[in-house]
Amino acid sequence: MSNIYQKNIIYRIYKYIPIILLFISVLNEFDFNNLEFIYFSFNFSYILIFYYSLKKSESLGYVYIFIAGLFNDVVIGTPIGLSSLMYLILCGAAAYLRNITLRPSLIKDSIFFLITILIINSLLFIILNFIFDFKLNYPQQLINIIWTFLLYFLFANLFDFFEYYFLGRNNAG
Amino acid sequence: METSRDDFVIAIRSAFLKKGTQQRFSLLGLIFFSIIFLTLSSLNFKTIDYLKIAINEIVYRFSFVVSGPENFLKNNYLVINNHFDLYKKNQKNIEELNYLRGKDLSQQIITLENIKYKKLIDDYFIKEKETVAKVLMDKQSPFLRSIIINKGSKNKIELGMIVLDEGYLVGKIVEVNFFTSRVLLISDINSKIPVSLQPGDIQAIMSGKGKQEGVLQYVKGKNLPEINKKIQVLTSGAGEVFKGGIPIGTINIDDEILNNKEDKIVIFHRDLSQLKYVKVVSFLKEKNLLDIPYKKDAKNFENEINETNQQQETLRILLEQKKIADEIRVKIEKENNFLRNERLRLKNKILAKQTFNQKNKTQNEEIKFLKMNLSYGHKCRKNVFNNRYKVGTAEYRNCVLNKGLK
Repeated sequence: MSNIYQKNIIYRIYKYIPIILLFISVLNEFDFNNLEFIYFSFNFSYILIFYYSLKKSESLGYVYIFIAGLFNDVVIGTPIGLSSLMYLILCGAAAYLRNITLRPSLIKDSIFFLITILIINSLLFIILNFIFDFKLNYPQQLINIIWTFLLYFLFANLFDFFEYYFLGRNNAG
Repeated sequence: METSRDDFVIAIRSAFLKKGTQQRFSLLGLIFFSIIFLTLSSLNFKTIDYLKIAINEIVYRFSFVVSGPENFLKNNYLVINNHFDLYKKNQKNIEELNYLRGKDLSQQIITLENIKYKKLIDDYFIKEKETVAKVLMDKQSPFLRSIIINKGSKNKIELGMIVLDEGYLVGKIVEVNFFTSRVLLISDINSKIPVSLQPGDIQAIMSGKGKQEGVLQYVKGKNLPEINKKIQVLTSGAGEVFKGGIPIGTINIDDEILNNKEDKIVIFHRDLSQLKYVKVVSFLKEKNLLDIPYKKDAKNFENEINETNQQQETLRILLEQKKIADEIRVKIEKENNFLRNERLRLKNKILAKQTFNQKNKTQNEEIKFLKMNLSYGHKCRKNVFNNRYKVGTAEYRNCVLNKGLK
């Protein structure tokens, strides 16, 4: 009986790992989005949110994503509500893709992810530049988008592996 | 066509309006909520400000805790690296210390003179408030390069105060909460600082670029002076945002910069990713005009300068004397060593001579005995007819030397 109870607890902890990862990536000082390298940076939060909204929508609640976005805004100093908006649009795009997809494949997902992050970043730049008068480094952002897209393949496989071996769930896609 | 449009609408509706199994709000609702937040914050709505401050306080503390393990690892790595470099650093520090000690007095004089002249032109600032703060978070984002410090309005931190690290400019306060504040670093693309380039006193505006660099914009004058050394970048004090003369960084001069082909990059003195404790200061212009108390002050300064000058002169003489005494000591030591070696050499020579003499004396005595043995040996030698001495004994030898028995 206690064995089943223990397994249940561990299962629950594993289940919350995506949320914990999201909050750690938002709150931690170490940010993949702003590494020391000039030509390497990527947005881990985007990958995590897109993957889990697409494949395991029950793992990340929209409210948690919304709160994580608020925290992210406070931590990086952007106007409050902006990251939440971007994250939720990303969730919406993932949900739309989930609804229209009959035969999922990683390539199609990643191409849709690329288009989505391009739209999201454009929206972000428009809001920051025209409404809040923030100056941005465009080449750096482009590099960030490209790496985020390329690393989606790696992280999608990693998350699949995690879901399969630790939670015993088969990939929905 | 009609069907595909319906599919699209259904998919969109399902994605944005349908609540999932564990979702309490629909996506569209939350998106509207975010937009409301954004709009109200752009309009500086007070409630949003309070909410933001509350979230700030919570998030900064949480973030400090969450970053704990990473900071622990980072600090340990730095400590280990420091230990490896300790010996080299120590040697370098000793050299630098000796060099700087010599410079210290001259600098004091220059500082006092500088204060005097700045007072004369009514441009002397005094520190009004000074607070030391700990860096809570060093979260660099692509949009904003800033740090969070653990002092806020409770500690009388105000917007626009200057943040220094060991006297070097690192940024200014752009957001004040009750317990915490945000510092916009000088490396941020949005930070514009009026600077002055020395030597040459060229005025410019510096903007942030990258992690450890700034870039000069609106440089007054076409080219930088053709100086074969580093150009120092200081705050100019223009616009009265920053006090003039705070060091920021240096520019390495090369041909491309001289020919205006490349951006003028400022390398900061401080590593902005390694800030732990910073000083938050504000400056106040001293209200000293050419009145009687000021004259008194000026006199005091004059006296102080003279005194320091005298001290420096005395120190110089003492150093000169020490140098001469050192030279003499070295010379005497050398002579002493030479004489000691000479004495040892002569002593050895005498000992060798004495040994040689002793040997000669023994040989002479032996020759004398042998010669006498030939002449008088038969008088002392024992045989069957007499009872004299046996050959080789001491008595026989004495007998021979006494030229036979007496």
